Amino acid sequence: MAAAVSTTTAQAPTFADIDREVRRVLNPGGLQYWAWICFCLFFVLIAGALWTNQVYEGLGVTHLTQPTMWAVYITNFVFWVGIAHSGTLISAILYLFRTRWRTAVYRLAETMTVFAVLTAGLFPIIHLGRPWFFYWLAPYPNERSLQPDFRSPLVWDFFAISTYLTISSLFLFMGLIPDVANARDAAKGWRKTFYSIMSMGWRGTDRQWRHFSMAYLLLAGFATPLVLSVHSVVSWDFAMAQLPGWHSTIFAPYFVAGAIFSGVAMVLTLLIPIRKIMGLEDLITPWHLDNLAKVILLTSLIVSYSYICESFMVWYSQDAIELATFHQRYWGPQGYLFWMMVACNCVIPLLLFVPRIRISAVWLFIISLFVNVGMWLERFVIIEGSLATNTEPSQWRFYHPSVTEIFITVGSFAWFLMLFSLFARFLPIISMTELKEGIQWLREALRDNYRRAA
Amino acid sequence: MSEGLSRRSFLKIASAAGAAAAIPGCEPVGRELIPYVVPDENVIPGVPSFYATVCSECSAGCGVIARVREGRVIKLEGNPKDPISLGRLCARGQAALQGLYNPDRLAHPFVRRDDGRLRRVSWDVATRELLGRLETAAKAGKDRVAYLARPQGPTFDKVAKTWLSAWNSTKAVFWEPLARPVARQAAQECFGRSDVPVYHLDQAEALISFGADFNETWESPVEMARQYAAFRAPKERRGKLSIGRSAYVGPRMNVTAAKCDEWIAVKPGHEAAIAMSVLYVLVRQGWVSPNSGFDIGTLKSFVQGYEPDTISQQTGVPAEAIVRMGQMFGQAEGAVALAGTDDKETHVAAFILNAVTGNLGKTVVFLEDAPASPYSPQADVDGLIQAMSQKQLDVLVVSGVNPVYSMPPAAKFNDALRQVPLVVWCGLVPDETAEHAHLLLPVHHPLEAWRDIAPRAGVNGIGQPVMQPVFESRDLGDLMLTTARAASADSKTVPWESMADAVNASFQAIQKQIGDKNKPEDFFAQALRDGGVYAEAKAVEVKFNASVFQNKPKPPGAGPDLALAVYPHLFLYDGRGADKPWLQETPEPVDQIVWDSWASVHPETAKTLGISSEEVIEIQTDQGMAALPALITEHVRPGVIAVPLGQGHSAYGRYAKGRGVNGFSLLAPGALSATVKVRATGAKGQLVTPLFSEDMMGRNIVEAMSIEDLARGVAPEREKAPGPYEMYSAFKYPTHKWGMTIDVNACVGCSACVAACYAENNLAFVGKDGVASGRIMSWMRIERYAPPKDQADKAPLLYITPMLCQQCSHAPCEPVCPVFAAYHTQEGINGQNYNRCVGTRYCENNCPYKVRRFNWYKPEWPAPLHLQLNPDVTVRGAGVMEKCTFCIQRIVYAEINAKTENRPLRDGETVPACAQTCPTNAITFGDQNDPQSEMMRRRKDNELRAYRVLNAEFNTLPSITYLRELYHEKGRA
Repeated sequence: MAAAVSTTTAQAPTFADIDREVRRVLNPGGLQYWAWICFCLFFVLIAGALWTNQVYEGLGVTHLTQPTMWAVYITNFVFWVGIAHSGTLISAILYLFRTRWRTAVYRLAETMTVFAVLTAGLFPIIHLGRPWFFYWLAPYPNERSLQPDFRSPLVWDFFAISTYLTISSLFLFMGLIPDVANARDAAKGWRKTFYSIMSMGWRGTDRQWRHFSMAYLLLAGFATPLVLSVHSVVSWDFAMAQLPGWHSTIFAPYFVAGAIFSGVAMVLTLLIPIRKIMGLEDLITPWHLDNLAKVILLTSLIVSYSYICESFMVWYSQDAIELATFHQRYWGPQGYLFWMMVACNCVIPLLLFVPRIRISAVWLFIISLFVNVGMWLERFVIIEGSLATNTEPSQWRFYHPSVTEIFITVGSFAWFLMLFSLFARFLPIISMTELKEGIQWLREALRDNYRRAA
Repeated sequence: MSEGLSRRSFLKIASAAGAAAAIPGCEPVGRELIPYVVPDENVIPGVPSFYATVCSECSAGCGVIARVREGRVIKLEGNPKDPISLGRLCARGQAALQGLYNPDRLAHPFVRRDDGRLRRVSWDVATRELLGRLETAAKAGKDRVAYLARPQGPTFDKVAKTWLSAWNSTKAVFWEPLARPVARQAAQECFGRSDVPVYHLDQAEALISFGADFNETWESPVEMARQYAAFRAPKERRGKLSIGRSAYVGPRMNVTAAKCDEWIAVKPGHEAAIAMSVLYVLVRQGWVSPNSGFDIGTLKSFVQGYEPDTISQQTGVPAEAIVRMGQMFGQAEGAVALAGTDDKETHVAAFILNAVTGNLGKTVVFLEDAPASPYSPQADVDGLIQAMSQKQLDVLVVSGVNPVYSMPPAAKFNDALRQVPLVVWCGLVPDETAEHAHLLLPVHHPLEAWRDIAPRAGVNGIGQPVMQPVFESRDLGDLMLTTARAASADSKTVPWESMADAVNASFQAIQKQIGDKNKPEDFFAQALRDGGVYAEAKAVEVKFNASVFQNKPKPPGAGPDLALAVYPHLFLYDGRGADKPWLQETPEPVDQIVWDSWASVHPETAKTLGISSEEVIEIQTDQGMAALPALITEHVRPGVIAVPLGQGHSAYGRYAKGRGVNGFSLLAPGALSATVKVRATGAKGQLVTPLFSEDMMGRNIVEAMSIEDLARGVAPEREKAPGPYEMYSAFKYPTHKWGMTIDVNACVGCSACVAACYAENNLAFVGKDGVASGRIMSWMRIERYAPPKDQADKAPLLYITPMLCQQCSHAPCEPVCPVFAAYHTQEGINGQNYNRCVGTRYCENNCPYKVRRFNWYKPEWPAPLHLQLNPDVTVRGAGVMEKCTFCIQRIVYAEINAKTENRPLRDGETVPACAQTCPTNAITFGDQNDPQSEMMRRRKDNELRAYRVLNAEFNTLPSITYLRELYHEKGRA
């Protein structure tokens, strides 16, 4: 196999190379792989146990307090929803724009989207005081004629998230069909059955291809506005409230930019180890990394601009309460979180101006981790900090997460990584179809890389 | 078919059996439903009964109306007919219920075995044991039996004395800590009277309090707070709109001092010198009332050596402050000086100040036929302890006091107690004294027993039992009467069969005395309905005893470098409140600490002594030592360590035990202050407060304006609220729109409203840890801020305000709730539907006032505290938000009453618990749709003072309008 790799690096990959490479990674790994899955599962189970305890005992097991009614759980929710967005950006918007570099990474990003939404969707339920009544947020026919209040941003949220999950799952499964059919043709045993069901009778006829392309285009069209709307709605959870530090018109674009920023960083965080572990350097080339890095750089600049803008508006309004909240955000007892966030989100990504760093997997991996941390902190600073330093100075109170909250957060990462890892070994994590369509671009990219390296 | 069973009867039995089998199946297992076979004529399920009785928490003697539902008392409210409470109660009165239902109350009689363990015995065994020992003691000689208790009403005390005489004894000692014997001694010295006068603060223009915490624990807090609010209310005095001027002289700025114009910080023991110096100013300026009958020459020589400058040097109080107080006091038409210290000199000086300004009979009134002091002289207490330690006692009965806890160590009570062969403890929650008792008898709570009170001339209250006993307890009075009768005492010496009988007899005597012509039964029944017999007592002219001027108090000297000032806790008082979670959990209004004791240390002193915030400090007096966390605060004089009483229990139930320190253990007998050594230990303590910051940051949460501005008619300039911008169509309020007017100027921070809210609305208490993690459940709080230092001249000493749900017309909490749990009622209340709440907590995030509370855990009321729960209010489970509803259950109750009587609702009929209990009537409630309602009139009459909290910022349109606090602008006091 090593020989195969070396030949493909010498020249650009052929259709057969792509098939072989992708089918190769569909092989479930050895002991290490299952150890990793068990490791993730272990943390998921811990989180599950802690949540069970939380449901049984009440939310008292968290460190939420009277003014800081929302903290880590909602931070996680916004964080994971944000992560989801870049997937849709790459798979839908960049598809519509016919961006060349997306072909190798879009399936990974799209998978990440679905699992991130699945993770995000847990948190509004975890954070409820009475989670067994979560369905009351949905309008459903009932004998009491009770309906949710459509004025509440949380109801908008419910719709935004459920719509998003529906569309992105459909989009993912749609795109998978030809690839799964490809895998089916090479598979044996239960996999054959599994792939047969998943491929929904795909035979690759001309008619099927025509329908597939049209459906895919339509779904991409559907998904595109969601990239902007879903996170705008999420941001309105805060912006619609009157709380100083939340009540700001800039929130929607600012959150969308932040979402794409964190999401692309998460794509890199996942892509770089997978590329390494699965030996996919031929298909996911520095050219792809370079382009993703550019997106990060751009969104980092937008996010930095938003921070400045937000602060400027507060200063310009001269609203005493807003000023106090922001003063606390910068210089208060938890100000170090804000400055860590600035370092992670505004300063460190500036390194990406250096072209060498943009194609260095190691550098990118480190920077993407910083961005993930920074974006999590951003949500935490906004949510917890604003609540802690509210309108009534006598009622302020800063928050520190409890063991339950920390482990449920860790568990959410484990849950996400577990689902993702399972997907990566059982379903094609790279779109063979699209890669083949754009093989010309891949070849050009490889040639360019050699030229640059020379 | 056999003969015995016809087909018809078989079917009957079968169907009955089937039904019997099926019915329990619908019910949770183990729940018993017992119907009223013979319904109690007074109990209609769902309809409350009201019984008039009296409050026994302190000696003030407020009349109480107990609300009883299904045979359980669930709420206490003041009796409007009672001239002392006038229908209001303080926090301690509200919390009396938690004494009644305390889970740690002794449930059965116990005998202490030789190994020190307690053995449960039946009442028969206990009574027999007691009787046997009493008879032996009676035979052994005179005065072998003693009774140590706090006064529990004239009839009860008489019964106790009668009972003692059956055992050949006269050793009845009526004692309680903080009874302030010096006040009576001073009255004796100045006027030859053993009673204390009544005060009319509302008749005064100027007031100086020398350590008298009149809004908190001094004498009669409800009455005093009411009078003080009237004193501070803006009214025309001598053609000018003004408020009374007041000054508080004492070591700590408590909530009484905070509501005065000026707090004169002195070391404990310097109050008398300040009072004398004020007198000096009066005498020098010739502000001596001509009809006071004092000889100026005598006075001049009396005050010699008390020049303000001299006193200023000795006490560190600026001479100008003394002169200012003198001017204020001397020029006022009607002034009153109050004394609450532990030394007689201050009390005498206060009487002289009142006398020279001609205020005797005006603001300070002695009443005819005033009841004699219910307390025994100190000599009796000392005599008792001596008799105990010399083994001259066989039986000691202790009731209603906790001498092991509250006697100063120097009294050596504990040692003496060990010498008594039989100590009988009769009480509610076993306390430190019970730990040393041999026989423990559970007695009735005053709400379960017959009592009467005579707190002052003309006021005779009846305490009737308002419910069946909660535990297997008996009334001590009844027990004494039955044992005395068993000891073959004839009906002449023990003329009553029971306490009910005795109280009835006392009221027959009263009837005779006032010459009432009704049948005795009718008279008594009427008295029961009214809660007592109230008559206007005649004032009596008193003559000032000139011999007072012969004992000139010694000049104070500089006093110790570091002094300890111990003060009664506003809620826990002398420790008796410590077993009640509501009182433990309500923050002390100034320092805002809960569930603990703390040592207030001035920042300067802390710096000198190297004490850091919340560091545990060791306090050493010549009497004892205590270690407790320091609270570094400017609300105490430099060089003074102030420690509240009330905590430091080693017994007294789960809520009291093992928290804080016992202040009594540091004090010499009769003193409330001491010279003290302090050592910082370096250990970090934990003081828990729900208050984060005392800096209001310029937000309009509590507002104040000067009386000068008010007189000029100038309102403070404030940002105008934007015009009400409506995105959705405005709410309509077809019938009522409930609202509240809160006069911040009248609020004295007593926190009675907070306690009343706990009682009425089934609020859970969360304990010290719960408060520490920011989860206090109070729907209503007393919010306290301090003015910025540079603005201290243009602000009250502290900003104190009740904060509760503002019931906004544009409520930020409502639209954010996804499930309509937070909703707007047609009567303008921000309702909260507990059953619909899923617990997103978004409403509290969006609430600018932070008045919504979340149930982090399932609330718990250890049995039988749960019997107090109001059946009209849902008990909330874990995971739901809750909030103030303007006591919607009380509104609905009044509305239903009005509807049944087919009449419109009257103004004043709907009263939430907080407004109902407010001693100063700072809170008024009413219909905003009715401009004639008291509440709306109050708003309109005080338009210049009206403001709405954070309305300009958030356009919330609150239904609560506050009226600004008033202060004197310059040259304060």
